[in-house]
Amino acid sequence: MILDLHTHSVRSDDGRAKVDNYCQWIRKKELPLDGFVLTEHRQYDDTSDYRDLEDQYGLLILKASEVETDYGHVLVFGVNEELTHAFDFARVDNHIGDVLAAARRCGAVAAPCHPGRPNVGLFAHFERKGPIDGVDLVEIYNGGSRPGEDEMSEAEADRFGYRGFGGSDSHIVSRIGYAATEFDDPIRSIDDLVSALQAGRCRARTFR
Amino acid sequence: MRFSEVELGDDLPETHPDISMDKVRLFVKAAYMDFPRFTDHEFAKSEGLPGAIVPGVMSQGFLAAMIHQWAPGAKIRKLDTVFRTTMVVDTSATCRGAVTDLDEDNRLVEVDLTMLNHEGVTSVIGTATVELAD
Repeated sequence: MILDLHTHSVRSDDGRAKVDNYCQWIRKKELPLDGFVLTEHRQYDDTSDYRDLEDQYGLLILKASEVETDYGHVLVFGVNEELTHAFDFARVDNHIGDVLAAARRCGAVAAPCHPGRPNVGLFAHFERKGPIDGVDLVEIYNGGSRPGEDEMSEAEADRFGYRGFGGSDSHIVSRIGYAATEFDDPIRSIDDLVSALQAGRCRARTFR
Repeated sequence: MRFSEVELGDDLPETHPDISMDKVRLFVKAAYMDFPRFTDHEFAKSEGLPGAIVPGVMSQGFLAAMIHQWAPGAKIRKLDTVFRTTMVVDTSATCRGAVTDLDEDNRLVEVDLTMLNHEGVTSVIGTATVELAD
C-alpha cells in the first residue's frame, strides 16, 4: 500500500490544490497511490470531512500537520486533542525537543521533513547547532527537493540511523505522488499509519 | 483550443521564455519598475541576491503567455502564483502547465502552472482559471 505522506491543500497559505482535484488527478493519471495525507502548514484541520471523496475515488485521505521548529519543519502524524494543546501549532519557533516529546507522549509521530534542505531542514541545523536526541524518522524523499537534497537526506539519515519515508510536499495538484511511502500492511486509519511508522514497517519511494 | 478539445490531465506545450538582460530591461521600463535589482547583477549581489532577478510580474506574464499560446483567444479569469525562489536574469527558464479540473457548465479550465529555473528548480507555482470557447 502506497501513501503520499506530505501534501498541502488550499487550507495551507501557499497551497493551491483542492482535495477533490487531487483525487481525480490520481485516478486520471493512474498514479500508484492508495491515498494521501494532508499536512497543512502550522495548523491541524479537525473540521474537514473527506469521507465522501474517499468513497467516490476509493482513496484513503488522512490529516496531519506540518509545524515549524528551531530545527526546521516537522510533520506530525496522529494529532489528537491533547497534542493540539501541548504546543502552539501556529508558531514558527517551537522547540523541536518540545514537539518530539509531546508527540511521543500523546501517541503521535513527529518526523522532520525535507531534512536536507538549506535553512528549513534538520541537517542544516545539525551543522550549525549540533545533533539532537529524539529523532528516529525523517523524510528522505521529498517531491520538492532540489538536486542533491534527497541524496543528502538519505546519506545523513543513514549516518544517524534514522528510518526514512517519502512525500511529495505537493502544493499544486499535478505534483502529488512525486514521492511517497510504501507500507507492508494495509493502512485504514491514522492509527494504523502511526503504528506502521512507529514500527518501521514502511519504506520511502520516489516517482519523479 | 476549444473546451471540447481539452481533457483532464492534458499538458500545455512548455515554453522557454527569454529572460535575458535585454528583455528584462525592456520590460521594467515599460512597467515603470526600472530598479537595479532587476537590471544590475552586481547591485543585486550587493543586496544578497544571486544576481539580477526577473520581476515576479514578468514571470506571471510568461505563464499567461504560455496559456495564450496553448489557447489563443482564451480568457484568463484568474492567475494566482506563489514565488518560491528567485529567477536570475541571463539564465534560462521553462514554463509548464497541466489541466487539473474542468467546469463544463461555464467552459472553465483549471490549470496548474510551474516555472523552473536553469537548474530545474521550481521557481514559481500557481494556478489559472481559463475560459475557453465552445
